[in-house]
Amino acid sequence: MSGLQIDAVEKDFGETSVLKGVTLNINDGEFVSLVGPSGCGKSTLLRIIAGLETATRGTVSIDGTDVTHVRAADRNLSMVFQSYALYPHLTVAENIAVPLRMRQMSTTQRLPVVGGLIPGTGPLKRDISQAVRHAAEMLEIGALLDRKPGQLSGGQRQRVALGRALVRNPAAFLLDEPLSNLDAKLRVQTRAEIAQLHRKLKATFIYVTHDQVEAMTMSDRIAVMMGGEILQCAAPEVIYEDPNDIRVAEFIGSPKINILPLEHTNDGVVLLGRVLDWPMPAGMPHLMQLGLRPEALRLVEGPSKLRGRVVHFENLGSEIFAQVVLYDGDIRLTLRATPADRQRLSLGKEVSLEFELRSGLIFDTAGKRLRMAEVKTRAAKEVA
Amino acid sequence: MTKNWWKHLILIVGTIVVLAPFYMMVSYSFKSPGEIDRGEGGFFGRQEMMVDPRCVALRQPNRADIEAARTRFTGQADTEIQAALLAEAEADCSMRPVVFNYSKAFTEAPLILYLLNGVIVTVSIFLIQTLVALPAAYALAKLKFWGREAVFGLVLFCLLIPVHAIALPLYIVLAKFGLTNTYAALIVPWTISVFGIFLMRQFFMTVPDDLIDAARMDGMTEFAIVWRVMLPTAVPALLAFAIFSIVAHWNDYFWPRIVVTGNRELFTPPLGLREFKGDGDGSFFGPMMATATIIVTPLIVAFLLAQRRFIEGITLSGMK
Repeated sequence: MSGLQIDAVEKDFGETSVLKGVTLNINDGEFVSLVGPSGCGKSTLLRIIAGLETATRGTVSIDGTDVTHVRAADRNLSMVFQSYALYPHLTVAENIAVPLRMRQMSTTQRLPVVGGLIPGTGPLKRDISQAVRHAAEMLEIGALLDRKPGQLSGGQRQRVALGRALVRNPAAFLLDEPLSNLDAKLRVQTRAEIAQLHRKLKATFIYVTHDQVEAMTMSDRIAVMMGGEILQCAAPEVIYEDPNDIRVAEFIGSPKINILPLEHTNDGVVLLGRVLDWPMPAGMPHLMQLGLRPEALRLVEGPSKLRGRVVHFENLGSEIFAQVVLYDGDIRLTLRATPADRQRLSLGKEVSLEFELRSGLIFDTAGKRLRMAEVKTRAAKEVA
Repeated sequence: MTKNWWKHLILIVGTIVVLAPFYMMVSYSFKSPGEIDRGEGGFFGRQEMMVDPRCVALRQPNRADIEAARTRFTGQADTEIQAALLAEAEADCSMRPVVFNYSKAFTEAPLILYLLNGVIVTVSIFLIQTLVALPAAYALAKLKFWGREAVFGLVLFCLLIPVHAIALPLYIVLAKFGLTNTYAALIVPWTISVFGIFLMRQFFMTVPDDLIDAARMDGMTEFAIVWRVMLPTAVPALLAFAIFSIVAHWNDYFWPRIVVTGNRELFTPPLGLREFKGDGDGSFFGPMMATATIIVTPLIVAFLLAQRRFIEGITLSGMK
């Protein structure tokens, strides 16, 4: 078990640059998710770590050893693929045994009849089948060992793929969207199981997903990737509450964060034509963007900062998401309400919304976070 | 059904056209020469006892036979003994036509040897073709290297070259190396099958890349991937190729006829059929058709077995 260092890795496919200098240090035993929209380069990065692609520039080290030019088989990493990639002609037990057989047995020992005659093959085979049984029991697929992958359900295949990855002690586990072929219910269950597995094995996990919920629930740290770069790599709560970039704020969080235009004029801070009581420090740009999470908005009676009409309404039972089109600027906001507010929300109804200044996230027009402009930072400073 | 009667009619006519020669072959292999000449006896013939005239002619009793038999026929004249011996010979040489045809097929020419030659040649060709085609197809389908498209273009180009066009140069090369009248002459020219490479390449294109990457992560070398991952998943395609390859070379008359001159030890089954070609001493259609039936039976049996595996292979592959 060991850490992983990715240093200024770039990858070009012909003219297009897929990774533009990615640097990431992953500690021993850490669960890091690479998350981002499709085409952001997260799978390419994982394949470069695995050794299935070579980086155009930059280095990959495992436990301090440079492995940039070491082939995949010799890197001692395990990978679980989105399509599971089980050998269709082998039984479950044989599938799980493959990594051990290929690494521990010599070519002649693997031969069907001759192999058995070579001294040491018997005990080795027993060790392997014991390891396979152990892995299968850990994943509760002990009863399936004699079946072929074609006879298994998606969830069972996924477990076999996990078993094949964890049967030996790799330096790290690489998982490439392993849950995306499962149905929603199974996905939630397997998500928890993988997180438990990580706690049990205390191994390094690198997990690629486009699903932010998976990233938020399982990871020690999330690396949000976009356009071939890591925008931010931090703990899930930091990524959610304190994003560095508007793209991170927009990608993480469901429903999406609300973005409103903010003006800094001589009169003060103006939001949709209304002057806010916002102590803005000097030197801030004229135009800014205000990010408000759906839970930062609340319904109020009477006049307020934001007024609009409910145009869409989703009741999830435990919470309600309502989309409100503001009268000013024709902007659509998403609001999270509690079931207690249900009778105040119906289609076409006029609502007033309020928010705490301290819950707003401020970004410049390029999307960079302006922490200096935010109320809570200043408040914290004043207290200090 | 009623609307499609003409489709069925065309299919039935087509089936008859295809099956008629087989029907004739099998039927002739059952019948006596007389029934074949007169065109009677239905499919099986009447299976009346018949006398093999050649067998009787070979056992025509001479002086020594008569002297030797004198103890058995005491007190009889020589002519009577001769007649009795002849009657015995005729009794020994009479048999059912089907027995006659099939026993002749094996005794007239060393058919077992020819069949064995056929097996050696076709199996060797197929094994070496597989040995060459699988790694080549894997490289063309799944590895990225400079000039891959050009190489694949050459493979396609070679598909266009008819065998007969290059037969003469091939023969000259083999003759220069002194390889005519050897197994090598029958096998070596066919060991690289561009058709096989093409077919397997097309199949390997459908194998998911993830499976190959998984094998690499599991510690397999590229050669191990070809034999341990690609080969087992490609069994249906390989069977299809096996049918083409084995049928073509088992039935090949042209090439063995060119490179095997005179040495009967190397005859393949189709060359063996020539031995029943009616020369001066009458036709041997019965035994000839029996031989033909024996030659095609292994192919038909193999095809029927392969066909079952073929379908199993596709439905049980468990790949998406």
